Amino acid sequence: MSRLLLKFENSILREVPLGTRPVTIGRAPDNDIPIDNLAVSNYHARVYMEAGSLVVEDLNSLNGSFLNEIRVERAMLKDGDSISIGKHDILVDEKHDAAVPVDGWHKKPVPRVNETMVLDTQERRKMLEMAAAAGERSQLSPERLRVPTLMVLQGRTDQKEYRVSGKLTVIGNSKMATVRLSGWFTPEIAAQINKHEDGYYLGRGDRVPKINGVPINGLTKLSDGDLIEVGRVRLNFLFRE
Amino acid sequence: MRIQTGARTDLGRVRKNNEDCFLMEPSLQLFVLSDGMGGEAHGEVASKLAVQTVVMHCQQSENSRAIPIFGDAQPDVSERTNRLASAIHLANKKVFEMATAAPQHKGMGATVVALWLEGQKLSVAHVGDSRAYLLRSGTMEQLTADHSLVAEKVRIGVLTPQEADASEMQSVLTRAVGTGASVQVDSNEQMLLVGDTLLLCSDGLTRMVTDPEIASTLLTSASAQEAADRLIELANEYGGQDNVSAIVLRVTQKSDGVLERLKVWKRKS
Repeated sequence: MSRLLLKFENSILREVPLGTRPVTIGRAPDNDIPIDNLAVSNYHARVYMEAGSLVVEDLNSLNGSFLNEIRVERAMLKDGDSISIGKHDILVDEKHDAAVPVDGWHKKPVPRVNETMVLDTQERRKMLEMAAAAGERSQLSPERLRVPTLMVLQGRTDQKEYRVSGKLTVIGNSKMATVRLSGWFTPEIAAQINKHEDGYYLGRGDRVPKINGVPINGLTKLSDGDLIEVGRVRLNFLFRE
Repeated sequence: MRIQTGARTDLGRVRKNNEDCFLMEPSLQLFVLSDGMGGEAHGEVASKLAVQTVVMHCQQSENSRAIPIFGDAQPDVSERTNRLASAIHLANKKVFEMATAAPQHKGMGATVVALWLEGQKLSVAHVGDSRAYLLRSGTMEQLTADHSLVAEKVRIGVLTPQEADASEMQSVLTRAVGTGASVQVDSNEQMLLVGDTLLLCSDGLTRMVTDPEIASTLLTSASAQEAADRLIELANEYGGQDNVSAIVLRVTQKSDGVLERLKVWKRKS
């Protein structure tokens, strides 16, 4: 049985058997061979049988389909051919023998498991830069350049203002708390703030804190100017210049 | 607080070798999971060496402060969290040395995700796409950000999570232990609360079982071990395309309140 092999770098990412139905290739997830690369058009190309031969047809893609490195609109395929689409190659394998079960059991055909591979640093940077350049949102937000600060508006704390500098900021009367609360019934860990790649998240401790009057449900991302309430303490979360 | 643990690793239904590996060191409150790669039996070698190195380095640093720190120490996390990251840096060095020394080991590598507890304070460090989750008050959060091409594209906003799930590039990692002379390790911290459940797992679980299903399995299991067993069974039921491993930790109430307090009192006096 013939098949198509999707190859990237040195890895076979996917194997698709060729039947009577055309095999579609493109960026949209509903293709038979989806390729999530911005150089690939949504519906880029297809491969199908016509009068006994295998044919590749480009579907007016922006960056083209290449058969053995020559740009083609429509071409006949033979065993061993390589179709290049973006950075991916699709290999034509007509001599593949379907595995015949040795014993009498009818095993369900098992889809090929992807082998894990690692991009080298340069390759990774290139691919992400390409992706970022094509994407509309930029990674750099001005908030990254400013210092996150907690200003105490109300309540008994050991300072009036705190810098949120670590990955973990504990609010409570624990010894390791950054924002040290006093008071008889204050829990050791009343609430906590976690710094992640994309911002600062408020999480519960033994109290469920509120953001702008609303109790949080799970880790909640903080925005500049948010009002945090933990018990009787009110804090203002600000990004300082 | 007390930690109840459960763990299991399984071949899955397709693979011939189990390249996943985990180590739990309850005396250290240290839990490490790794998913190896490199074909043949080399993935197994890489993941085993990685977890053993992490545990060994943490053990040694408990006994002696003089043990050197590997990799750059981060100023925004505690010394202990830096220690855990250092252990992964050392694992990277060891696996890389082995991979470059012997031709048959060329290209091998592994993911590592590790948790280290000190009282209520949890340190998390990882490289690759094995994950740590925290289930708290019915909500499950992923504590680690996958170092995979699709996950990085989702984070910079050029791919939707749905497109990522359908992508053929899911097996492409952007970082792994042992594939380069150095590696960037991500670390973070969290204060644990009674009632929390933590999960460490390989992608053999998360590619087969959805997050809501993982969360409900964790919530409805009687024990940590039952939760780990049920998660592995689910992954296999859905195809078991890859090796699958899970470590489940449950944070429970102080066991024997009075006795515990007496011990503390004895220590103080």
